[in-house]
Amino acid sequence: MLSNAIRRHAPVWISVFAGIALWEIAGRSTSKAFMVPFSETLVRLWQLVVSGNFLTQLLDSAKLFLAGFILALIVGMPLGMLLARIRTLRIGVEPYIMILYATPMVALIPFILSMMGFGFAPKLLVVFLFAVFPVLYNTVEGARSIKPELIEVAQSFRSSEWALWREVMLPYTLPYTMTGVRQAIGRALVGMIAAEFFLSATGLGQLIMSASQNFDTGGVFASILIIGLLGIGLTRIGLAIEQHFARWRQ
Amino acid sequence: MAEQALSTPVPATHKPAASRSSGAFVPRLITGLAIILVWEIVVRVSAPAYVAKPSGVLLAIPRVIIEPAFLQALGSTLSAVAEGLAITLVIGTVFGLLMGRSPTFDRVFRVYINGFNAMPMIIVLPLFSLWFGYSGAARIATIIFAAIFAITMNVADGARSVPREYLEVSRSFRSGRLRALTDIILPASMPYLLAGFRLAAGRALIGAVVAEFFLSVGGLGYYILYNSRSYHHNEAFVGVLLLAGFGVGFELLVNWTTRHFMPWYRRDEKAS
Repeated sequence: MLSNAIRRHAPVWISVFAGIALWEIAGRSTSKAFMVPFSETLVRLWQLVVSGNFLTQLLDSAKLFLAGFILALIVGMPLGMLLARIRTLRIGVEPYIMILYATPMVALIPFILSMMGFGFAPKLLVVFLFAVFPVLYNTVEGARSIKPELIEVAQSFRSSEWALWREVMLPYTLPYTMTGVRQAIGRALVGMIAAEFFLSATGLGQLIMSASQNFDTGGVFASILIIGLLGIGLTRIGLAIEQHFARWRQ
Repeated sequence: MAEQALSTPVPATHKPAASRSSGAFVPRLITGLAIILVWEIVVRVSAPAYVAKPSGVLLAIPRVIIEPAFLQALGSTLSAVAEGLAITLVIGTVFGLLMGRSPTFDRVFRVYINGFNAMPMIIVLPLFSLWFGYSGAARIATIIFAAIFAITMNVADGARSVPREYLEVSRSFRSGRLRALTDIILPASMPYLLAGFRLAAGRALIGAVVAEFFLSVGGLGYYILYNSRSYHHNEAFVGVLLLAGFGVGFELLVNWTTRHFMPWYRRDEKAS
């Protein structure tokens, strides 16, 4: 059993170490302005952590991400379920949700900038806009999968509206909503960085921007490494949530 | 492994599509008009004059679409996206097929493909601006980076899911490996490739716009940025409408292609 696990995972780790070695070699054999070896990236990262700069920026970004993401859930989930319940409304709104889902939301950032300026609210709006449509779109998609007969049967047994939501609507739409939540995590992260790049520079976005403006390539690599790992971790969480609820799908 | 399980295309369940769409038109029209009306009223009552409103955007459309600067921007963005997607499609398909058919190759590269795919793509912009300068090359690089992992992952999933019986039959009839690749594996992974392409096209579009914002490279994104900075919001919004049109257009094109040429597959809404 153990040897089996080793055989399965060994190539992955060898591959990761080979990648790091390649990075180190490439970094050492090119100009410092172009690429920085892995070891120096870690040193620079440590400097950023010790100076305290990194932690404040990380917390700043986390605040923005969580606020926007939670707002998207609070709005997206009930709205999606409401659309699931009221069929005419759903049919009417569906194509517009699809359009907004497919629209690159980054294109709205310049408008938000010139209307709302540089505070926290415009950035929150950006993260919210990035994250809300996947939740809404997938919840409505789930709503379409509810068989009308189920609701009819529930109603003919005189189930209350509350019971109908709890016993039929929620279990049917939630697995789809969670697919949306996974997508929303990824998008909210992009929205967070985009807001920090193009609205007022704060958080991890500012960290990487100022590093790049100061030609501090080590700082750029350190920030990319951290944000990348953050993205991988959050995506893992999203997948785990989605799979947990995927079991509900019939 | 997790991604693989979730992105398996589901056989089509038949829905009476015709009867649904005929009854849907009126509520959709009413909703659309209501959205436009509310937007117009809210902006007129409570926002400064420069803010985009439906009537203003409508009046701006005929002016903008004959404006040389706009057409140039449009051409620049579209050709960059097309170029980036073409490169992505070739590299991504080759890589995906290799990953799907060779377990060793898969184990070596999957960790990177998954990792890069999970990264918010726009963080590479400062790096690409250092590497390629504030130029069109950095934009193409951003587009490719944004799009390539989605295609690779989907093609790999597709190539892996080819039923083993098909390959066994082809081997018993002594067809070569290349033949099996072109006639069995590639067609069988087509729906996955298309699902990947739909995702990749959307991301490529975002990549292009973000790159233009960041690098100040001429294009539709820069056109929007420039006009909204100079308080020409109506004109800028025409650009947004066009971008939304492309986003929806890609989506519809892929759905239609899948339905028309591969009617045995339902569009895979989970593969992302």
